[in-house]
Amino acid sequence: MNKELTHLRVNGEEREIAITPNRLLLDALREDLGLTGSKRGCDDSSCGCCAVLIDGTPMLSCVALAASYEGREITTVEGLGGPGELDPVQEGYAEMGGAQCGYCTPGFMIATKALLDRNPDPTMDEIREALSGNLCRCTGYMQIYESVKYAIEKLRAKSATQAPATR
Amino acid sequence: MAKDTNGYNIIGKPMAMTDARAKVTGLGKYADDLSVPGMLIGKILHSPHAHARIRSIDTSQAEALAGVKVTATGEDARNPYGILPIGHDERAFALGKALYIGDNIAAVAATTPEVAERALDLIRVDYEQLPGWFDPEESMKASSNWINEERPQNIEKEYHHVFGDPEKGFGEADFIAEERYYAGEVNQAAMEPHATLAVWEPDNRLTVHSSTQVPFYLHRTIAAVCEMPMSQIRVIKPLIGGGFGGKSEIIPLEVAACVLAKKARKPVKITYTREEVFLAHRGRPITIVYLKVGLSRAGKITAVQARVIQDGGAYCGYGPVTVLYSGALLGAIYDIANVQYDGFRVLTNKPACGAMRGHGTVNVRFAFESILDQLSHQAGLDPLEVRRRNLLKAPCITANSLRVTSYGLPECIEKVFERSGWAEKKGNLPYGKGVGMACSHYVSGAANPIIRSNMPHTTVHIKIDRDAAVTVYTGASEIGQGSDTMQVQIAAEILGVSTDRIKLVAADTELTPIDLGSYSSRVTFMAGNACLNAAKDMRDQIVAAVARKFGCAADDFEVKDGRISHKSDAGKSLSFDEAVTVALEFHGALVARGTYAPPETARGGKFKGAGVGPSPAYSYSAQVAEVTVDPETGQVRVDKIVAAHDCGKALNPLTVEGQIEGSVYMGFGQALQEDMIWKDGRLMNPSLLEYRIPATKENPEIESIIVESIDPEGPFGAKEAGEGSLAATIPAIANAIFDAVGVRINSTPITPDKILDALREKQKLASGNGANAANKPVAAGGRL
Amino acid sequence: MTLPAFRVLQPRTVEDAVRMLDEHRSDAMVIAGGTDVIPNLQMRLFTPRVLVDVKPLRELAVIEFSARQGLHIGATATLTHILETPWMRDKFAVLASAIGTVAGPLQRNMGTIGGNLCLETRCRWYNQSHFWRQSLGGCLKKDGDICHVAPGGKFCWAAWSGDSAPAFLALDAELEIASLSGTRRVPLREFYKNDGMDRIALARNELLTAVHVPAHMAGRRGVYQKLRVRDSIDYPLAGVAVAMEVDSAGICKDARVALSAVNPAPMLVTQAGESLIGRKWSLELAERVAHAAIQTGKPLTTSGSTPVYRRDMVRVFTRRALEETWKNGHGSA
Ligand SMILES: Cc1cc2nc3c(=O)[nH]c(=O)nc-3n(C[C@H](O)[C@H](O)[C@H](O)COP(=O)(O)OP(=O)(O)OC[C@H]3O[C@@H](n4cnc5c(N)ncnc54)[C@H](O)[C@@H]3O)c2cc1C
Ligand code: FES
Ligand code: FES
Repeated sequence: MNKELTHLRVNGEEREIAITPNRLLLDALREDLGLTGSKRGCDDSSCGCCAVLIDGTPMLSCVALAASYEGREITTVEGLGGPGELDPVQEGYAEMGGAQCGYCTPGFMIATKALLDRNPDPTMDEIREALSGNLCRCTGYMQIYESVKYAIEKLRAKSATQAPATR
Repeated sequence: MAKDTNGYNIIGKPMAMTDARAKVTGLGKYADDLSVPGMLIGKILHSPHAHARIRSIDTSQAEALAGVKVTATGEDARNPYGILPIGHDERAFALGKALYIGDNIAAVAATTPEVAERALDLIRVDYEQLPGWFDPEESMKASSNWINEERPQNIEKEYHHVFGDPEKGFGEADFIAEERYYAGEVNQAAMEPHATLAVWEPDNRLTVHSSTQVPFYLHRTIAAVCEMPMSQIRVIKPLIGGGFGGKSEIIPLEVAACVLAKKARKPVKITYTREEVFLAHRGRPITIVYLKVGLSRAGKITAVQARVIQDGGAYCGYGPVTVLYSGALLGAIYDIANVQYDGFRVLTNKPACGAMRGHGTVNVRFAFESILDQLSHQAGLDPLEVRRRNLLKAPCITANSLRVTSYGLPECIEKVFERSGWAEKKGNLPYGKGVGMACSHYVSGAANPIIRSNMPHTTVHIKIDRDAAVTVYTGASEIGQGSDTMQVQIAAEILGVSTDRIKLVAADTELTPIDLGSYSSRVTFMAGNACLNAAKDMRDQIVAAVARKFGCAADDFEVKDGRISHKSDAGKSLSFDEAVTVALEFHGALVARGTYAPPETARGGKFKGAGVGPSPAYSYSAQVAEVTVDPETGQVRVDKIVAAHDCGKALNPLTVEGQIEGSVYMGFGQALQEDMIWKDGRLMNPSLLEYRIPATKENPEIESIIVESIDPEGPFGAKEAGEGSLAATIPAIANAIFDAVGVRINSTPITPDKILDALREKQKLASGNGANAANKPVAAGGRL
Repeated sequence: MTLPAFRVLQPRTVEDAVRMLDEHRSDAMVIAGGTDVIPNLQMRLFTPRVLVDVKPLRELAVIEFSARQGLHIGATATLTHILETPWMRDKFAVLASAIGTVAGPLQRNMGTIGGNLCLETRCRWYNQSHFWRQSLGGCLKKDGDICHVAPGGKFCWAAWSGDSAPAFLALDAELEIASLSGTRRVPLREFYKNDGMDRIALARNELLTAVHVPAHMAGRRGVYQKLRVRDSIDYPLAGVAVAMEVDSAGICKDARVALSAVNPAPMLVTQAGESLIGRKWSLELAERVAHAAIQTGKPLTTSGSTPVYRRDMVRVFTRRALEETWKNGHGSA
């Protein structure tokens, strides 16, 4: 199979890689771009460990053919937060026990990020629903909810301090 | 959350895990995230047959494929291995016979995964199929065609224990119940599939990065299998994406990667697919429990008799330990004088079972706590009250010689009694809703090591140099449970510095002293104590130097808030940095060490099998589950689980709660939905789509309550927190289902169809035998 | 698990796409969201040389409703897009209800309605890895000549396991199918062949472009009840869709009941409509229709759950779905 030059926009950067047409986005990220934050947890696209944002929507990079996502804005866990600075969602998962072994965490944070971007004040049911495509074997989910709530509070505080400035 | 911090600065306060940032940024590396230049990809050829003689293997076509660097078969590494000294029955690749579908036959290392997969298809194996053994109760009747010729009748191991006088005890009982329980097989299903990167170094050494809970056992095993001195091998544990016992023995891919790397003289990485994770397995075995328990009218348990059969799969693994734990922990949670236990570990042509979270205790606890609930109802007593009437009085020695030093079970029971609203709810909820309770306990590490020796179970080194950074070298394996953080907390507390100052180097056989591994919930107790001892050693060295400088006695000084200060003379005080300089001038080098080995008094009795079960301390848990059962569909919703866990002292309440909740979650999964479905030795659901670990929406709300009994020997009083709660969840749910709809399901998972069948059976009885029978509880007998 | 080698063609228009399909015929396969195709390719359930990636065809992602044309959903509209269309739940309650149960949110963000209507049938002897199936010598559907579900038979019982199809059946939907020779419309109920091996009446050179629901279906009450173990991720073990028009006097004016996951095709329950039309709610009536439903649903051991239980639930769910729809159904009557 011949490799083809493929342009991916990942975490705000244009990246060019030579890949075969059957390259999954997950493998392109992990193997070709060295972004190993996105994980593989299953064989049948049922665990959510590989979730990334594509144009702001969380999707499974283990069912996405990399070449089909040229020109789309791809955000991985490595693209959350700024240099040396955690996104409130990351901070929540770090502080509140949302990450035990941490293997499911990138996928959960991606799903959480997408949720809070669209709905900064979700109900408990909305949180459960938004995270229902991700499996975690460690936490029993309770501290994941605490982590999400932490992020919600953090974001609320942030927008409260920012609001006067923009006025 | 426990607020009492006993004047500690760091201990007892919630703390984010030290590696949390590495995890939330995606920068932390797990085994499969690692790669090195020139790395080959290894793939394993698995047996398609459950039981077959291997006549020949031809790898020549595979070797001829472009991109294939080496292949390996059983002939390349003939030395047997196994986690227990009495069970060295595994080899890198099968020699002579394949014992289960998925057994390891050969492997290839190639330049890409695609080439490696294609090469597997080119390996020709000539098998002669043999009849397989799939049902443990059938298997143990086998008169020929044994799975392992050295294990007659396919019995890996059996144990027969009698404590007290069970016959007399049953004679004293007013109520006796006898039931058969069946627990289906479950897998750890850690989210990270196993991966191993074995790097053949230019100087002919081998460096192994592996997803393991037991790097030091792996070290020994690779040396034996690869016939290399241990000194030429280095094992490094990267971040681990969950273990739960699934990575607590040597997993076939680990030896396969090393054999391939040695043969190719190149780095080789093998990563399991999820299907292979299920085939390597090491989960909780199918367990059949024939249980008889007697209860007096006063609610006292008079005798227990259990016959336990565990379907161990084709290899020994931890098998004898599992079956011994089942016996040792069966009655020891309560004050029971008379216990008979007959335990059998049986071989079948299926993947080997292992030491899954709550090792050995979970399935017998399900049986025991269910039958106790049943007996309580028979006796017209509140099941919670019956537990209260059978409590131990610690400190004490149980009938089977376990030394109990701290016992928070009474408080656990009272806590869940209050918080669940037990008094109002029990027996008073409308049909379809119910509450159930159960208790469990677990060891804080095994008092006797797997490989008998008089060496410590764990050692910690601490070094401080001119930068005044404190580096803790520990062999303990962080697998997501927070063991790194725990040791950082302990070192910082003792040295009176902030946790930022502590650096931790862990689980690298070349850099860190030994720790036996992350299994049987031993790390907080053992590595925690070793770290505590090392930190105290270091503190004493620093204080000695400071005291000498001021011409005072060491006792006059205290270490706090980053300073070493005279207790009554404020002028005599040094910052930690200054003190380190003084100490280096005095001692030359600042190196401290601590070790831990359980005391002789904790090591149990002298009978055969007495070595398993003893622990320096035991954790306790009590739980109440509240459920809603739809009597028309049999579907169960667990509305809430209140879980109280006695962990001695919560060094880090955040992680303790996380451990309790994770345990309850896993128990919930086994109770209602997880099941490895076998058909003639073939796993029908080797995937996360069909092996259904709970997701967010059906998962119950969990309220965790920390109970602190302050164990006299635990570090700051701490005991186990990561496993003990699992076992109570399953019977708590089963008992709640009984409370809700009046049927007992004695087999897990408790699926809706079993509930419907039992309800129908009950209705039949009611219409057949008049009104009396309607109130008689119906047990849906174990499957098989 | 790796993927087999293939090329990916990216058509710019529907015309492009059908030309590509026509050119490569049996070598080609359509991929949309890929949530079914990719895992199946990894398991080597098929090995097409060419994948025609229709996901970028924006013209096919349209979701529209008009009182004249009814509901039009383009084949590449994602399930999430459909769910989040503001009027969907009010106008087509059964559809929103069904789509909301598909897999989990991550799959729904990728999965398309076209893919959902064209899903491969599923069976526990079939949806397994190459190694697993080989160890058994394959099955009737793939690489073998035995059906492990009904040994001896020459019929494949792999179950239809999509959730939206029964909802669309209950709404009497039609499909729009394009090929080089133009487009055709086919009633959904004629699209499914009830054969586990050959599930849909779609030629290799045809492309599903849209699904239509007649305008008069808008506002129908309806609900979908799904049997599964987990409340997300899981495929259905059984599914019942009901759509109904009830007048102000509580009399059923029109109704359809359809089943999923208990046959190789999604199926309308025969006679359900006839039994219900002109009647008022009664438990006996609902029980009668529920009984008809278990005549239609014939589950076999294609999944972890038992056929007996799944049949039982078809009965219970049918009655409950009718009750819910009749008594407090969504949508305006
Ligand atoms: C873990 C998991 C759980 C799932 N659970 C469910 C579930 O509960 N219920 C459910 O219904 N589905 C479920 N699915 C399947 C799937 O996610 C959805 O059905 C989805 O809608 C499929 O759409 P897709 O675009 O991804 O299809 P694809 O995978 O792209 O395609 C599926 C099939 O349709 C064909 N196809 C796609 N588009 C067209 C077209 N326009 N014309 C002709 N043929 C076409 C493809 O060739 C292929 O045969 C699950 C999937 C996963 C991975
Ligand atoms: S890796 Fe499991 S869903 Fe993608
Ligand atoms: S934190 Fe380990 S799987 Fe979620």
